[in-house]
Amino acid sequence: MRRRARVSLIGEVTGFSRSRTQAYFELRDTEGAVPCVIWLNELERLDLPKGGLRDGAEVVIGGGPNYYRGSAQASPSFSFRATHVRLAGEGDLLARLEALREQLRAEGLFELQKQLPRPRLPKTIGVVTAEAGAARRDLLTGLQRRGWAGTVVWAFAPVQDRRAAPAVAAAIQELAARPVVEAIVVARGGGSLADLWAFCDETLCRTVAMLRVPVISAVGHERDSTLIDDVAAVACSTPTHAAEAAVPLDCDEARAGLERCAAALRRTGEGAVGARTRHLVALARGPARALRRERIALNQKTREIRAAAQRGVAERVSFQRRIALVVLDRTARRAVTGAASAATTNRRRSVALDRSASAALRRRRDGLRRAAMALRAHDPERTLERGYALAEDTAGEPVTSAAAAIAAGHVRLRFADGGVGAKIDPEGGGDERAA
Amino acid sequence: MSEPPESYESAVERLEQIIDRLDSGQAGLRETLDLCREGRDLVTYCSAELDAVGEGLQELRLDELAARLEQPAEPRQS
Repeated sequence: MRRRARVSLIGEVTGFSRSRTQAYFELRDTEGAVPCVIWLNELERLDLPKGGLRDGAEVVIGGGPNYYRGSAQASPSFSFRATHVRLAGEGDLLARLEALREQLRAEGLFELQKQLPRPRLPKTIGVVTAEAGAARRDLLTGLQRRGWAGTVVWAFAPVQDRRAAPAVAAAIQELAARPVVEAIVVARGGGSLADLWAFCDETLCRTVAMLRVPVISAVGHERDSTLIDDVAAVACSTPTHAAEAAVPLDCDEARAGLERCAAALRRTGEGAVGARTRHLVALARGPARALRRERIALNQKTREIRAAAQRGVAERVSFQRRIALVVLDRTARRAVTGAASAATTNRRRSVALDRSASAALRRRRDGLRRAAMALRAHDPERTLERGYALAEDTAGEPVTSAAAAIAAGHVRLRFADGGVGAKIDPEGGGDERAA
Repeated sequence: MSEPPESYESAVERLEQIIDRLDSGQAGLRETLDLCREGRDLVTYCSAELDAVGEGLQELRLDELAARLEQPAEPRQS
């Protein structure tokens, strides 16, 4: 039998007991159990921590099959004789824990509880813990420190070994089924990861995540990290902190605050009436004062208006004076400019006039000369010069017909070189005419 | 009180609003008196809530709670 292969097994220790020479226990996992035995002297040589090999401990054992022939008092049996025992490395458990943590996180189960509203002043709190544990006392102390003295509903359950997880889950569900329970605390003292392994149970964690009542976990100490901490609404390092999380309101402080509020309200109410009464009294005295104030203000305004009017008149006079000066200046400049322009025009016109007068003079002289020439052409003197004679009456008027000569009787004949008198013979002239 | 608050939290929140409004000095006389009256009612409500968790811690087991819930309401004994 001892020549059979040596193997290693991993599991949880249950039913640990000792005889004088040997230690006995069962090694369990989810699929079954193996009875194991180890010599006490071999166990002592392994130098395990004191109390390390006990119920609930996760261990790795090395050894092989063992057969007991039986005796008068005992039946023959097979068992596993362990020669080496070591506590299961946290690495083994941590790897499984991390895988499960990632899975629950991926499913969003870490957020559900954290989104639940938590009452600041619950009247009833449910607590899941071990009946004999120190966590119970610490939690009550924490609640007392908050000044909270409501109702605590205890749901006691084992908090270590393989029975713990389903028992804790059932207790939580029982509490959550009561509507009066407003928050649930799950509390357990510190320990190794193997000790706290129940609180990493997948079913328990899923149960907590799906509850509609906020769950506050206070499992282990600050350095311990279990999965229930991740899925719970709040994770606390100690039961005392869990009490503060379960009752966020410091009741003693709230009572003192309420008293202050009540006093402030009283003061404000009374003060509001008193202040307004004083104000009304002041208002009753007000009209005369207001009238005087208005009169003073009116006088002041009148003075200001008068001064402003005087300032306005002076400014207007000054302005008009400036305007007049500017207008005069512009008019004078325009007059000077106009005179200069008129002088230039006059000069131009004078020249044109002179030129025109000379031309007219020339034209008239030429006309006169031509008239003189024409006159001269018609001058009777020139006819006389050619040998003709002019008959004039005594008055010097020309006698231009025979009848007139006869009538005159006596005429004067003017020749070019002088005149002579002649007597008219009416007879003599007739013949000639007839001839 | 015209309408009881939904919870202690909502009562405290409203009470803080009332105090802020009164502290601002902007409320008229009628509003001030109404707010003071409402505030006093809220203080009474909150005091009652605090009294409910101040009359002495009561510890029950789950089965005791179940039994109590099944019975008709009785005056609470601390």
